[in-house]
Amino acid sequence: MAGKPMTGQAFFVLTALAGGPRHGYGIVGEVAELSGGRVWLKIGSLYGVLDRLAAEGLIEPDREEAHDGRMRRYYRLTRDGRRALAEEAEVHAAAARVVRARLGLTGPAAAGAAG
Amino acid sequence: MSGGLDLEQRYRRVLRLLPRYYREQWEDDMVAAFLDSWVSGDPDDDEWALEFGKPTPSDVASVAGLAARLYLGGAGISRRYFAWGQAIRRAVLAVILVHAVLALDVLVRIAWSRRVFGLPAPPASLVAAAPGGVWPTVFYLVNVAWIVIFVALALGHYRTARVLAALAIVAGLVALAQAQVTGIMPAPFGSWAWWVLFNCVPVLAMATFDAGAPPAARWPWLLALPAGYMLVIVPQLMAAATGNYAWVPDVAGQCCLLVALACLAHLPRAWSRRAGGSGVWSLTLALLAALAAAYRLVTLSDYVHDPHLINVSLAELLILVAAAALVTPDAARTQIASPAPPPQSQPG
Repeated sequence: MAGKPMTGQAFFVLTALAGGPRHGYGIVGEVAELSGGRVWLKIGSLYGVLDRLAAEGLIEPDREEAHDGRMRRYYRLTRDGRRALAEEAEVHAAAARVVRARLGLTGPAAAGAAG
Repeated sequence: MSGGLDLEQRYRRVLRLLPRYYREQWEDDMVAAFLDSWVSGDPDDDEWALEFGKPTPSDVASVAGLAARLYLGGAGISRRYFAWGQAIRRAVLAVILVHAVLALDVLVRIAWSRRVFGLPAPPASLVAAAPGGVWPTVFYLVNVAWIVIFVALALGHYRTARVLAALAIVAGLVALAQAQVTGIMPAPFGSWAWWVLFNCVPVLAMATFDAGAPPAARWPWLLALPAGYMLVIVPQLMAAATGNYAWVPDVAGQCCLLVALACLAHLPRAWSRRAGGSGVWSLTLALLAALAAAYRLVTLSDYVHDPHLINVSLAELLILVAAAALVTPDAARTQIASPAPPPQSQPG
């Protein structure tokens, strides 16, 4: 996964789909919850991210369901998407361990960094 | 639920900003997600919202941003739009290269005039006065900034390049306005046309250098700076030193002739059936030709007093149009046959 780092939006979208398939607005709500309200995707931004993730093969359509007379398309993580998310999470975790160690914070994360 | 159709129709109208191919794939999905975002669960509120609600400016902005990426962005978009995006990015780099070469000329002349590194004194015709006063100093600093902007753009530091370029064109505007007010501007149409066509337009087009856009070929572009100086500026310095500067075309004329030469140099590839991917360069040259032609046309108004210069300018324009016409068919073919966008290394 060398190259440019994954953006925060892509990371949260993949994380939202890690819990199971979701439709467009379901992803928006899940991302808002996961980020503690810091990331609130507009629909244009969401589909920009979904389009790129789908082009990369990290997500794929799951199914379509009718809701209030409109079709909702659900998306799910692919195997590559799960792997990419796991690698990105590890990058974040490693960075967090370094920061905690530098700050002299105690706890399992800091101990992990020392080990 | 006719009210729901109102909000839906308004949003669908916003979605017309997106390319047709993209709408065919994603529009219904985007509309469903958008309407979901307006529904609160309270029937009265929902009915009101679906009937009277309007997409917010941030909704529109997010769709506009997506549209800009899809029309001019990088990987994952349609081949036709990818070709346009690539051509615009190359044309922007070429225009910024022109700025950088001119800036290098200014730097070299000042250094030579001050006999930096023990250089011998330059001929009198090449002596550059050191900037004095606030505005001339601003003008020279802006000139130097273009070198930094060009290098930043070629190296992929797009944000840095955009910020510096925005500052440069504002400073250039101030210097231009000051020259206009004080009456020291020798050719007002040409100066303003230069600022609009060669400063504002490329800096606005720098928005296409962003996520997803494949990086430029770094070394060829960086080497183009000294090469451009040697091939374009040095002959002019020699002409000036030998008293033949009157033969050197003005900047608009040089732009026309340089683009025409580039078109002719590109011709073997453009006409070769085996040269895959030449069309993006043909499209780039067509864009540069349009820019140079527009500049040449506007600057004609500075020569109304001199029929000879008008004739020379029209001849330059004719040469440019003829050379550009030779690569235009290849540029047109690019619309349907440009190479597929390369995959991105990372999403987002």
